[in-house]
Amino acid sequence: MGLYSYLLISIIIFTIGVYGIITQRSGIKILMCIELLLNSANLNLVAFSSYNDNATGQVFALFSIAIAAAEAAIGFAILVALFRLRDTINLDNINILRW
Amino acid sequence: MFSDYAALIVLLPVIAFVLTLFLGKKLTSGGAYLPIAAIAGSFIISLGIFLEIYPEGIVQQSIPWFSSGTSTMNMGILIDPLAIVMLLMVSFVSLLIHIYAVGYMSHDPAKPRYFAETSLFTAAMLSVILSDNILQFFISWEVVGVCSFLLIGFWYHKPSAAAAAKKAFLVTRIGDVLFLAGIVMLYVNLVKIINDPANAFEIGSGNFILQFSTMFEAIPLIDPTQLTYITLLFFGGAVGKSGQFPLHGWLPDAMEGPTTVSALIHAATMVTAGVYLVARTFPMFVATPDTMSAGVPDALLIVAYVGGFTALFAATMGLVMNDIKRVLAYSTVSQLGYMMLALGTAGTVLGAGAVGISMFHLISHAFFKALLFLCAGSVIHAVGTNDIREMGGLFTKMKITGTTMFIAALSLAGIGIPYLGIGTAGFFSKDRIIEGAFEYGEKTGDLIPYAFAVIAALLTSIYIFRLWFMAFTGKPRSDRHSHESPNVMTVPLMILALFALFFGFSQLAFYGYVETNFELMGVEIAVHEGEAVHPPIIIVLLPVIVGVLGFLISYAIYYKRMLDMSKIISSENPLYKLLYNRYYEPKIGADLIGVKLTHDVVAQSGEFIDRKIIDGLVIDSIISNTVFKIGEIIRKMQTGVVQNYASITILGVALLLVLLKLKFGGI
Repeated sequence: MGLYSYLLISIIIFTIGVYGIITQRSGIKILMCIELLLNSANLNLVAFSSYNDNATGQVFALFSIAIAAAEAAIGFAILVALFRLRDTINLDNINILRW
Repeated sequence: MFSDYAALIVLLPVIAFVLTLFLGKKLTSGGAYLPIAAIAGSFIISLGIFLEIYPEGIVQQSIPWFSSGTSTMNMGILIDPLAIVMLLMVSFVSLLIHIYAVGYMSHDPAKPRYFAETSLFTAAMLSVILSDNILQFFISWEVVGVCSFLLIGFWYHKPSAAAAAKKAFLVTRIGDVLFLAGIVMLYVNLVKIINDPANAFEIGSGNFILQFSTMFEAIPLIDPTQLTYITLLFFGGAVGKSGQFPLHGWLPDAMEGPTTVSALIHAATMVTAGVYLVARTFPMFVATPDTMSAGVPDALLIVAYVGGFTALFAATMGLVMNDIKRVLAYSTVSQLGYMMLALGTAGTVLGAGAVGISMFHLISHAFFKALLFLCAGSVIHAVGTNDIREMGGLFTKMKITGTTMFIAALSLAGIGIPYLGIGTAGFFSKDRIIEGAFEYGEKTGDLIPYAFAVIAALLTSIYIFRLWFMAFTGKPRSDRHSHESPNVMTVPLMILALFALFFGFSQLAFYGYVETNFELMGVEIAVHEGEAVHPPIIIVLLPVIVGVLGFLISYAIYYKRMLDMSKIISSENPLYKLLYNRYYEPKIGADLIGVKLTHDVVAQSGEFIDRKIIDGLVIDSIISNTVFKIGEIIRKMQTGVVQNYASITILGVALLLVLLKLKFGGI
């Protein structure tokens, strides 16, 4: 499998993520889609790293995963708080900031 | 060895300020011991440096701070005779007042704030003194002003205290603006001199543009007219800070603060900063043209007249005040006038010698005036009122306070025996000033400053003994229960009393030491040589005669009651009314300038322009309606639907990629 196969998978995951973010209404699903975006980027980093025979990209990916974990924790915490407040995590109902 | 730690003189009280502010509540006595220890440290270092450099060393340390164009500003320390005597006085008096304050403020819940602010004040004041450049001097000068504002308004819940703090801040600000303008003007002149190759003026390495030494070196190159304006602007700053006429009104009002604050800031240290500024830049004052020749007024003449007039003017108001602290406040204004008078008159006849004379009075005044205020504090602490009409007969109950206050009054009145060289501190310092004014009169034929000084000396003696007799003798005029203050308050009183009595004997050593100040800095001051004036006996005796006369007048009126004062003290007597209303200065200041001019004219016309003209243009006009309509349209973008935002973001990124691709090509 060459570099292109990895990039192809990465693009597919990325596209799924974008599609999910645009179409989904549930906060949790959107959060999961954001994770997909991040992971497609990680996949790219690792793929290029292996291709260029340079370990920097892999280290970078590890950092990125750690940060993604923190970000997910915060995201879920926000959703839990939101659910307690509004009894829903359907983002269509969370729109007090519009005009 | 001590001079290596010169920076600690300022830093120790700063550290104490931070610690007391944040930890004071958890410490005993509101953390008072931190500032006391820090200021004691400053005093010990100052004393060590004094012993090291006496009689002709100076300490100079300087580091570059920032650059602007081709000129580099610096921060630094300059300890010369002028600075070291001030350092010793400020740290010592501040130390005693802090110790006294432990007793005086013992019932106040806001002790940590009090001690933190006085500690910061002491740090800033010490920084003013040992600055080696005018910029650092100005910054410290402003910090001192802020501390004064905070401490006058220490009991901010009292409306009168809040108003007094505001007044002090605004009035001294007038002076500060003038001072800053002077610095800017000086800087412009210095840059011009340096950039002109004809002058061949260069700042040596390790020296900086606004350092005092550079300023003094450049004096001969500055245009005399400009130099006069620079010095007059500096003097404007000094007038504001030292409460000289016409910016004197804030100082008596500043008595709203705690008495210890009045003693520390508004008697001994901060108000003398103005005198110190003039003394510090004295070579510039001396170098100004001394006739009306250049079409500019003589700077030293103005200093002399403002000082002399203030000395007399403030003393007249001191005669009629009934608030014990206000009497002392007017006395302070009056004595500061003497110091300015010394710089102005003796500066003309003696050159650098005037700095010694003025500084000697400054320091002896600091001792006896701090003592007077602390005694007043002790009385107020005991009686619970500021009004001397409600006191009386306190001497039997408060022997230590009464005795020390009498010593301070003797010193303020300048009682002593001429020709024998025996006398209080004020005797030596004030007599020398009056003699200097006489010598000036002999040489220039202008005896007005001398007359100011002598009449003010008579009034000084009358008002201070009036105060003492009314407070300590006679029958108690109210049934308040009074008692002597605790030791923590009386011991500082006794120490200061010793200085008020015996400091005068150091006069010759002091003059000799401080006079050399500018020589040590390598600055030539043109001394107006001439035959030494030997004033006639009557001139030598006159200051003491008026001092004793004042005492006798007060004794006759307020102790023996030989004269019925009720006829004079009445609202019918126009002179009494004028004095009691302080020459209508508060009316002119607050009602005329504050209300009529600032509010009714400036603020009202500003409001008219804003409401009628600008609002008329904007409200419901084509401008505002267009903006509203555009806003109506654009706000629809904020749908509140997360997906819309995400889609637009992704579209934007995609668009960006396409544009990059078109621009740079590639894969």
